[in-house]
Formats: sequence, C-alpha cells, structure tokens
Amino acid sequence: MCLFYGFVNNICSVVSVNRDNPVSGGINLFLKKKYQLIFKRNMAKRLLNALGYPQADSLNLNDEVTFKKIIVWLEINRVRSAPPNVLNTLKNFSARDWDNTYIRYKDGLGCPVLGTKLEELQWILGYAVQIETAANRNVYLKYAVENIQTSNVPSVVAENPLDKLDFRSKEFAEGIKELAKVLNIVPHSDPLVTLKAVRKVVTKRMAPDCVENPQKYILTGTPFPFQDADLGFDLNDSVLNQAAKILRMLYIHDLRELQTKANELIVAVQGITAYPKTDTKLGKSWILIRYARSD
Amino acid sequence: MLDELRNACRPGMVGGFLPGVKQIANVAALPGIVGKSVGLPDVHSGYGFAIGNMAAFDIDNPESIVSPGGVGFDINCGVRLLRTNLFEQDVLPVKEQLAQGLFDHIPVGVGSKGIIPMNAKDLEEALEMGMDWSLREGYIWAEDKEHCEEYGRMLNADPSKVSMRAKKRGLPQLGTLGAGNHYAEIQVVDEIYDKWAACKMGIEEKGQICVMIHSGSRGFGHQVATDALVQMEKAMKRDNIETNDRQLACARINSPEGQDYLKSMAAAANFAWVNRSSMTFLSRQAFAKQFLVTPDDLDMHVIYDVSHNIAKVEEHIVDGKPKKLLVHRKGSTRAFPPHHPLIPVDYQLTGQPVLIGGTMGTCSYVLTGTEHGMLETFGSTCHGAGRALSRAKSRRNLDYQDVLRKLEYLGISIRVASPKLVMEEAPESYKNVTDVVNTCHAAGISKKCIKLRPIAVIKG
Repeated sequence: MCLFYGFVNNICSVVSVNRDNPVSGGINLFLKKKYQLIFKRNMAKRLLNALGYPQADSLNLNDEVTFKKIIVWLEINRVRSAPPNVLNTLKNFSARDWDNTYIRYKDGLGCPVLGTKLEELQWILGYAVQIETAANRNVYLKYAVENIQTSNVPSVVAENPLDKLDFRSKEFAEGIKELAKVLNIVPHSDPLVTLKAVRKVVTKRMAPDCVENPQKYILTGTPFPFQDADLGFDLNDSVLNQAAKILRMLYIHDLRELQTKANELIVAVQGITAYPKTDTKLGKSWILIRYARSD
Repeated sequence: MLDELRNACRPGMVGGFLPGVKQIANVAALPGIVGKSVGLPDVHSGYGFAIGNMAAFDIDNPESIVSPGGVGFDINCGVRLLRTNLFEQDVLPVKEQLAQGLFDHIPVGVGSKGIIPMNAKDLEEALEMGMDWSLREGYIWAEDKEHCEEYGRMLNADPSKVSMRAKKRGLPQLGTLGAGNHYAEIQVVDEIYDKWAACKMGIEEKGQICVMIHSGSRGFGHQVATDALVQMEKAMKRDNIETNDRQLACARINSPEGQDYLKSMAAAANFAWVNRSSMTFLSRQAFAKQFLVTPDDLDMHVIYDVSHNIAKVEEHIVDGKPKKLLVHRKGSTRAFPPHHPLIPVDYQLTGQPVLIGGTMGTCSYVLTGTEHGMLETFGSTCHGAGRALSRAKSRRNLDYQDVLRKLEYLGISIRVASPKLVMEEAPESYKNVTDVVNTCHAAGISKKCIKLRPIAVIKG
C-alpha cells in the first residue's frame, strides 16, 4: 500500500511537470484539461482500489449516488470521524440537506477549498490512505526502500565500542589529550572538541593515499601575513579584531574549497563537451608588414 | 597644458583634456546621477562621456538614464593578464620566434578574421553564455572563469536584442585582436611593489614572463552601440530628456530602449570575453609550440581580466545606505577592495587586481583595489595612459620608421599589421602611464602592485 502510494505520487509529479509546460493554442488547452480529468478519475479509482472499495474499477465517478456511496463507505470503513447525526444524514442519500451536511463533514476533516467534487473526493481518499498507512505503519515499513536494501545484505550487528565510553571520565579526557599531543594538536578544554579536531586530522592526513603521497595533500606555498592584512572594518578591540581576522581566513578557506569543487565539476563536464578546434585557413590578418629586429 | 589649452580653444578642434573636463561636467548634469561624475587621471575627451570618466545612476530613481556614450563604442574593451613560470632569460633567445608565433596565431588588424571556426548558432550561444561558451567548447580552463570580472558572463545578455548587422560583423571577428590601441604583449615583471599581493597572483620574482591581451568586442560592439544611439534619440524625444550635449544620447533605465540597450550591451560584453578567451587559447598554443610543453606545465594561468568600457549594476553604500546603482565606466577600471563579495576568493585579502595597459613600448601596471577607492570613486580607477595627441596629429608629427627604430633600440620585438597605426599608438601620442598610475596610487583609489615591461608586441 505504502509502495503503491509512493508510485501514485510519482505519477503525480510526472504529470504535474507535464502540466506545467506552457501549451499554446485552444486545442492543446482543451486536450490538457481533458487529460487532467482522465488522470484524476484514474487516480481516484486506484486509491479506492487500494483502500479496498468493492468494484472500484467499474465505478462512474460522475454519478451523484455513487459519489455519495463512496463518501459514506469511506467514513464508515476508513475515516471514522463523523458524529452519529452527520453520518446518519450522509447515509440518507435523498436527504434534502445532504449537500450542506457533506460540506460540514469535509470542512471538519480539514479539506481545503477545491474546484470540483472529484478533487474533493480525491483529497478525502488521500486522507483515508494516510490514516490507513499510519495505522499499519509497521506492516508497510517492511517494504520501505531502506529496509528492502538492508534485508538483502547479510545483517551485521553494528556495535560501536565508542558508545560504551564515558566521554566525561578523566581517563577519556587524558587519553584524548595524549592523542592530540601525538598529532601536534593544541587540546581544547572540552575533550569532545579536541576529538573532533583529531578526527579531522586523522581522516585528512592519515588516509592511505595521503600516507603514500603526502606531497599531494600537504599544502605548499608562501604563507600570507594575514596579521597585517586589512580586515575591512574595526571593532575597536584588538582581540576581537584578531578573532574576526581568523573568521575571515576560515571563510576564505571554505570559499576556496567550494570554488575548487566548482572548477572540478566544470572540468568533468568539459570531459564530455570540449572539442576545441582551429582552422588556420579561416584566419586573415590585414596588410602584413612585419618589422622585426635583425640580429 | 598650454598646448592643450591652445588646442582646445582653436575653433573646430576636438579631443584633449579640457574638452574632456567639459564632458565630465555635462555628465554631472544627467538625470539620476548619484554622487560625482568622476574624471580619472587618464581623462581625455571621447564620444559624449570623456574617456576616463565614471558615473553612477540610481536604479530606483525612475528618471535615471543609461547612455551608450558612457560605455563607449568598444563595449567591454579590457585587459587580460596571463602569467607563466618562464623567466626573461628563457624567453630572450627565442623572443623573435615567440612574437612571430603569437602573430601567426592571433589575427590582427582592421579586417582580420579569426581562426576558430564559428557558425551563426555558435555565435548566438557565445553571446548568451560568454566565457561559459569557451569553457564548454574547451578553449579555456575552469580557473580562467574564476579570475574574470563577472565570471566572464553577463547574465542579462539577450542576443535577440542585437541587430542582424552586428551579428554579421561580429561572426568572423571572434578571436581577433583588432586594431587601434589593442595589442598582445609579452611582458617581463620589472618591479614588485607589493610582495604579498603579487604572490597571490602567482608572481614570485622580477624577470617572470607574462602575456597581456588588450582587446574588446570588435565590430560587434561598435554596431551594438551605433544601433542603440539611434533608438536612444527617439526615446529622448518621447520622454523629454534634455542633455547638455547631443552626444549624450540616453534613455531611462526602465524604458524599453534602456533595457534593450543593457541586454544587447551585455551580449557585446560576452562577445568580448569570448574574444579574449579565444586569444588566451591561441597564446597558450603559441607558447606551447615554442617551448614544446603543455600550457599547464608553463603555468599559463589568467591572473585577471578587467573590463574598462562597461555599465554594470552594482550595490554601493551611498550616504550610509546600500543602493543599487548602474555604474558606467568608460576608460575606467573597476577596482574593488579586499573582502568584496564580487572579487575572486584568491584576491579576497589583496583586493581586486587592476590591469593597466601601457602604450606600445612603455610599461604596464597591475594595481589592487582599495577601500578608499570604494568610497571616493565607486570602486573605480584609471585604465591606461590616456591619449595626449589626437590620432591625426600623431600621424602628422611622427614618422613610423622612427617609432619602430626606437622600439628596436629598447629591445622590443614588434609585429604590426599597419604602419599608420604605429604612429597613432606611439608612446609620444600618450600621457606617461607611470604618472597616471602614480596619481591613482597617491589618491589612494588603487595601490601599485607590479610593474611590467614589454619585450614583444603584436599589434593591429
């Protein structure tokens, strides 16, 4: 059911994309509207089918009695939210105030203002599907994409030994401090922050490729005296200015990484699109008087 | 100065400093202008706006105008600087061959045609995509885009607003240098004033070799500007816009004519970027062929690419409040300070590199933008030497043989397409670029960083 609902939603998005395409001309507009209508009818029938409505495929949704029957069936079997007096009126198809009661009923469900009854029906069907899915969540979760994938893979009980650590123990703090010392990191007062720094260094500098080709990873270049650089504003406090400068540097570093990634992406696309060519036969310079040093 | 005065007072004379000042004043009277109409140290008279003039107009003011005269006919004329890891001693023995190699690769002169095959569809795409087109086709490197004003693409470009005539003129000219003051030069780092900023640009030592390309949008931009002027005159009549000078044809920014011009100007700007990118590709090819190594191994990265004839929408602080302005820079280079969000990440600490092309045979400079310039001149500085003698006067007073002999004496190899232009572009026809740059440095609107001296020149 859940899967089916997802599938329906997919169709929905595909169709809505098509629907958004600018279509010009009266005939096209007419066809567009017609297809929308057919789609909505089919969609409603599929939802009814999924909810277990008898003989949903052969229904005539334009028929008023059928519509009323569906509403009552949905309320009794799936939605179950109407007070008894409302339900009784809805059950009586020939009641004079059926329409008013229906409006009250659908408003009570929170149905937004929609153009046609078919659209309203579709909304109520969606609502019913939601209730149904929520009630049987565990059943449907079995078919969720994540669970299908993991069920095919031999299950390994993930046990993280770090989970059992006491992060606030003295032993842990000292161990982290020791580790930071080995890696040349200035320890932070909070060992967890230090651990983050350790993780960064280990993942960046201790990766197998990095250990084998350190030159590829270690940044070379002339250091820039950022202390003398113009900050662009003054906070009237040398310590704050210093902090702002460091923030600037970190920001520039992030920006550089982003730009490098953008460049890498461009290069990857160039691998597909690039085909530079020249044709010297096309070239034409004006009167050629070459004046060169004679030596 | 006296010569200038005499020139300016003679009936029927055009050009020079004083008429330029008058033009700056006329621009100051245009509707919607914010702050001052600024004249940079290299100012001389041009069409409508002086060359070396910047003026900003408030976009939110419905009266504000856009003027093709404030951009110039060579839309997005600009300078690009490539660095190499070669040094003077590596290049001097093969200087002639290298100059010839560049000359063979880059078509020059008035009617020159490019060697990169293009059809009408390619042109349409290039006009819309700018340097992204060059990237897609594989003519340039991803890092080139990073080191270019606007990342080499004006997003509001609309090729459908460009006349068929402009496209016809532009199509064969992509990848050509053009004539006039345009050139490609092989230059040597002569002096480093700001070691750290130079280091960020990949310039480590004196003697390092660079390649400077100065070119624009060729006949395409000229046609776009000409077409726009016709439209603007109509719009002026309709909207009752009055100016002190007929050459200051303009239209309200939000009028259809104003918007059409901005869109077609952006397409012309994209054309110029593709043009300079194509020449970057050809220069890299020429160097690679000469030294039999890849351009990658020669570290031929673009240091920066500046535009000095353009109008752009920028945000500036006016009277303590952020304001959206349409900044016209004609013969004026953008010079944004450190930490400005619109400059590349590599130059966040140094400020935007500003490339000042000298004249043939004189030096060029790389400056960096400053905070002071941002406040005083909306982040603008000079663009070059600035003409001192009119073209006609240069032709009368100078002999091309003398000019070439002098260059030879200075050890500069030169390849030119037309001797007539050599006189017009002789250093004597221009102001001293060093004086111009020193003035900008002293005024604090930009900071000296590197001085470059040419050893080979390719010219139209």
